[in-house]
Amino acid sequence: MNRSTIQVVDCQILAHYQFESAQFILTLASDSIAQKTKPGQFVHITVSDALAMRRPISIMSVDAKNGTFDLLYKVVGEGTRQLSERKVGDVLSIIGPIGNGFKLTDKKLPLLIGGGVGMPPMIAIAQQIKDTDYDPFVILGSEVPFPFTPELSKMGNPCPKVSHTMPLLEGWGVACRLASLQGYEGVFKGFVTDLARTYLDALSVEDLVQVEVYACGPHPMLEAVANLAKEYNLPCQVSLEEYMACAVGGCAGCVVKVQTNQGVAMKRVCVDGPVFDVTTVF
Amino acid sequence: MQKNLKTEFCGLKLNSPIVLLSGCVGFGEEYTRIDGFSNADVGAICLKGTTLEPRLGNMPHRVTETPSGMINAIGLQNPGTDMVINDIMPNLDKSETRFIINISGSSVEEYGEITKRFDDTDIDAIEINISCPNVKEGGVAFGNDPDMSYRVVDICRKNTSKAIITKLSPNQTDIAFSAQRCIDAGTDGLAVINTLMGMSIDTNTKKPIIGNNQGGLSGPAIKPIALLKVHQVYQISKHHNVPIIGQGGITTANDAIEFIVAGAATIGIGTALFYNPLVCHKINDGISQYLTDNKLDSIDELVGTLALNNFISSCK
Ligand SMILES: Cc1cc2nc3c(=O)[nH]c(=O)nc-3n(C[C@H](O)[C@H](O)[C@H](O)COP(=O)(O)OP(=O)(O)OC[C@H]3O[C@@H](n4cnc5c(N)ncnc54)[C@H](O)[C@@H]3O)c2cc1C
Ligand SMILES: Cc1cc2nc3c(=O)[nH]c(=O)nc-3n(C[C@H](O)[C@H](O)[C@H](O)COP(=O)(O)O)c2cc1C
Ligand code: FES
Repeated sequence: MNRSTIQVVDCQILAHYQFESAQFILTLASDSIAQKTKPGQFVHITVSDALAMRRPISIMSVDAKNGTFDLLYKVVGEGTRQLSERKVGDVLSIIGPIGNGFKLTDKKLPLLIGGGVGMPPMIAIAQQIKDTDYDPFVILGSEVPFPFTPELSKMGNPCPKVSHTMPLLEGWGVACRLASLQGYEGVFKGFVTDLARTYLDALSVEDLVQVEVYACGPHPMLEAVANLAKEYNLPCQVSLEEYMACAVGGCAGCVVKVQTNQGVAMKRVCVDGPVFDVTTVF
Repeated sequence: MQKNLKTEFCGLKLNSPIVLLSGCVGFGEEYTRIDGFSNADVGAICLKGTTLEPRLGNMPHRVTETPSGMINAIGLQNPGTDMVINDIMPNLDKSETRFIINISGSSVEEYGEITKRFDDTDIDAIEINISCPNVKEGGVAFGNDPDMSYRVVDICRKNTSKAIITKLSPNQTDIAFSAQRCIDAGTDGLAVINTLMGMSIDTNTKKPIIGNNQGGLSGPAIKPIALLKVHQVYQISKHHNVPIIGQGGITTANDAIEFIVAGAATIGIGTALFYNPLVCHKINDGISQYLTDNKLDSIDELVGTLALNNFISSCK
């Protein structure tokens, strides 16, 4: 067992921005979390004094030098609503970083697919590999306005007619395109998996074997990603969600059904995941 | 650890009166992932409910928050008795704390068999769970029938010389009578209480949130109920020197002291860990300070010191 790998820290809110459709980006201060986090890990947050059970939220990006990290969340119920009311200067109790995170492999063309509030772990991977010899392509999907202002990308375009990207990723030099059924300007009209298909179909045979898919998003999206990975015969890691109590492996509250060599097992999303090999969970 | 926190429970020497509760801390190592958490800060740890054969448990969702608490229906997911004995127990650091196995069976004989297997190990004590609300067969079905409770405790007693603690269900009419029957059958200690049965509904889908439809309610919401049950059971158990692990919604030292005054010899912490994984430090410190402030040398002097009001008939 990995003793003492998870910190309990009081983190001050340094920034808290609201975007359309009750989406928020929260910047918190913690040297230890900023320095230790791996892409795909999450934190477990006490949102207010009124709600004692914590809420799990993925870490989107870190600033190790300044000791800060960012979260992106959407208000869906009472917990996230109370979180959205917390002000700059407030202090939140945080447990983290938690979870196995994504495993970067020797495949040099990571295809990162994030849907809705499944975007943060993809951005976390992009941040980790932006200055390496990996050549990632990111696809972000949303059915509500994106929690950033999409901008025209100047980076080489693997998907003709789809022009807009996330400014943060553009700044990092990571290629990205957006997808939505809503018909936003410069955004691919369709599912993230359809845009992924356009990208994959344009790759040479040699490049295709260099692709590994990483995904996080709503269940139907992950199912579609699972089918896509199968169709193109690509390895694929997905990050899952489940209701949690402890988030440290103690309660077995957060399990999902996983296929193992020994048959079906119920694995804990908090510490055995949240990232799983797609073929074991779909 | 403060010296005045040392105590004894069913013959086990404990560093602290805190017992970490079954189902909340896996098989003893899980919370050590937390920096600053140590098993040495608690008197004992009850391991996850264990059955003879492995169990996958219930389908999700298994947990959800409710007002001042939570509902769980894990369904006793565990790797089975042999795996616990052969693969998990050898890795427990017994220098840090005492370990109590928590067992569940779907028949009287199964309880007997599991007890026999643990009797051959170096486990410190055996907690008999006759109060799990989340499994179809067994569990609370035994706990709600005092005669069945008697038979379960009786067979376990015959199969081990280790200390036995029987965990009572609050989902029954007369918990004190049930306690009496378990004492008659030879239990050394009692755990009071397990979770209360409850439900939570998603009004959009009109479905229960919990996969198992219903589950066990824990946390501060059940504290007043648990406290009264401890008081009621203590009225019986004190005559037999059978100590109680008081539990149900304890989150502060003051809560813990209330349970001790009501008759608990040790106090259980479960759901409170989910709120604050480092809560045990605060509870240890608070109890120790209270003892000092009240010029008590140990917890034993505080157990069952409840001074009931003696004008409980209605005002004329
Ligand atoms: C590993 C992980 C990472 C996550 N990352 C993000 C993220 O980056 N951004 C984001 O917006 N959301 C994320 N979520 C989902 C987020 O945890 C839920 O939206 C949130 O818990 C809902 O709480 P609520 O009280 O507002 O909603 P309610 O529906 O009122 O919640 C009721 C209960 O159900 C639980 N619950 C409800 N929906 C979910 C869910 N989808 N996942 C887990 N528990 C749930 C709550 O924690 C609470 O205990 C993540 C979930 C997990 C498991
Ligand atoms: C997630 C969870 C799992 C539990 N699993 C078990 C179990 O396997 N066996 C058992 O005897 N009690 C189990 N319990 C009950 C606790 O041990 C304890 O009696 C109860 O939660 C009340 O204490 P609390 O309010 O401090 O949590 C479980 C409780 C929770 C919250
Ligand atoms: S939330 Fe408790 S084991 Fe994952």
